[in-house]
Amino acid sequence: MNMYDILIRGGLVVDGSGVPGYAADVAIKDGRIAAVGAGLAGEALRVIEAGGRVVAPGFIDPHTHFDVQLLWDGAARPALEHGITSIVPGNCSLSLAPLKAADRAGLIGMFQQIEELPPEAFTQAFEWTWEDFAGYRAALEKNLSINVAPLVGHSVIRLWVMGADAQQRAARPDEIAAMQDLLRECLRAGAVGLSTSFVDVDEKARPVPSRFAQFDELDALCAVLGEFGRMLQIVPEFYDTDITIARIDQLAELSLKHGIPTTFSPVFDSHLTPHAAPRQLARVAEQFARGARVWPQMQTRPIDISFSLLRPSLFFARLPTWMRTLRLPLDERLAALNDQATADRLVADAGPDGGERLMGELIARGGDAIPAGLAGRTLGQIAAERGEVPARTLIALSVAHGLDVAFLAANRGHDRTDRIGPMLADPLVHIGASDGGAHIASFATYGDTGFLFSEFVRKAGVLTLEQAVKKITADTAAIWGLKDRGTLTEGYAADIVVFDPATIDRGEERPVFDMPGDGMRYVRDSIGVDTVLVNGEVAWTKGDYTGSTSGEICGIAQTRLTGDPHRRAL
Amino acid sequence: MSGAAVQTEATIVGAEIAGGHDGTAEMVVSIQYENGVVGSVTLDADTGFSIMKACGAADLAALIGRPWREISKGL
Repeated sequence: MNMYDILIRGGLVVDGSGVPGYAADVAIKDGRIAAVGAGLAGEALRVIEAGGRVVAPGFIDPHTHFDVQLLWDGAARPALEHGITSIVPGNCSLSLAPLKAADRAGLIGMFQQIEELPPEAFTQAFEWTWEDFAGYRAALEKNLSINVAPLVGHSVIRLWVMGADAQQRAARPDEIAAMQDLLRECLRAGAVGLSTSFVDVDEKARPVPSRFAQFDELDALCAVLGEFGRMLQIVPEFYDTDITIARIDQLAELSLKHGIPTTFSPVFDSHLTPHAAPRQLARVAEQFARGARVWPQMQTRPIDISFSLLRPSLFFARLPTWMRTLRLPLDERLAALNDQATADRLVADAGPDGGERLMGELIARGGDAIPAGLAGRTLGQIAAERGEVPARTLIALSVAHGLDVAFLAANRGHDRTDRIGPMLADPLVHIGASDGGAHIASFATYGDTGFLFSEFVRKAGVLTLEQAVKKITADTAAIWGLKDRGTLTEGYAADIVVFDPATIDRGEERPVFDMPGDGMRYVRDSIGVDTVLVNGEVAWTKGDYTGSTSGEICGIAQTRLTGDPHRRAL
Repeated sequence: MSGAAVQTEATIVGAEIAGGHDGTAEMVVSIQYENGVVGSVTLDADTGFSIMKACGAADLAALIGRPWREISKGL
């Protein structure tokens, strides 16, 4: 008689391979999948009844910035409760190692620019014990609930070798050689690849160090990636389609020359630039046909605009009076908004409907200041209750709370399901770019997987349940070379999510104050996810984290290209 | 023969606001080039404000019809 640790019984197994789901049990022993089959014989220390539920491999998020949060929250909350069991941090050229102690302050500025974490997150929430990548890995491994496949950032590699010059000039040959040695050391210590950026800036709006690299430097670093068959991730100049296509070509050359997988993000769709994403994907297809691997990452969620009157926003660029007023220095801006005559002019400038069309659908978001009863409601609703027009309400709420009231204009980009669905379903499109753990004070970067099922499987029907699961499990594991993960296969890590296919979704965005120093961020709760197991231990179930620390640094399989180029794609 | 005026330099023919990757509002400017082809450039908030200031545009509509050469001084 078999004795299992856990038996998940009676579910619909969607195993990540893309084959139709089938009724089966899943048995777990010693953190691994021991058996998958109908009516498994044997006993288990714990039985999870999964009738009416899907049992699938844990989801994998390939684009996150949880580098810092993982040091005090090994579950990367709330990512794990959405069914995500493995994450890739260290994107966009920035990681927390290798980093000399003297360079910490500089890196904090870069991270704050991207993640919007409060300063306390870097000074109070953890003890900075490491300089090298192995030390960072050791610090992470103490308390992981989720699996991590960390990238090493090009910017920090440059910073280590070149010091302050990393943000000023191209590297000399001896410096490039030193960077190669350092990258080699990081890959040996478990880095899944290298990330670089052609667009990011630090808190002083200076280009991050990776942007000062010449092509010979990137080529040399990719040669090292080629020794290990590891990934190169980049952020191209995504605001310009032609430059992005040139980067796709550049990635293809690096992929072919060094036998490495590459990926770029973000790719998103906009009705204002409707040809941008299709042109990029067409060039990707051409390069795959040549045998290169250049994976475009596309997010599932629409893009929202978030702003407050604390900073000028182009949201008001159609309104001359608003533009003029909001570009005043803060004290003058506040005084102007408090002035009745100025407020009257602003309301008049918002249109004959008092801003109903432009502002009525804006959502008051909470943030630090707004009364909780108003958060989540539209400005039109609030204005109607107050007996005024939306433009007047926007000004009044902002002034009453020191301008620190956030508003959200929902679905202002990447919001056409009929266009995005087929792109997400394309076998050459990598579902990712969630940015989990970044932009935390602007919008929630969690729940993209739930949205994939609710919007593109159930509502639009552009992907089957099995295809959607495959895209965020087996495909992701294969693209990144995550060893023994991504499918429900005997012997593989028991990363498993049990969910209701009829309800899985993302919850409403809401503010929480759970960052170090009582810092605020926006999150979304999961909907329809019952249980999440990481390496055979229940990490989250029925709304609660269990405190499990079964997460680990992912093992990486050799992914170097060999043989028939047509077999190189999935 | 067409009565359309011959265009001698790249000109702004449209300007819209779109959501950016990081949740900020961005400006998408459509430019018609001398050969008649229309392309677009996406500008982040700081750059958008800079070009409006550089050419004295009070709002988005005021950018339309302006030469791109003049606008790009603010980049």
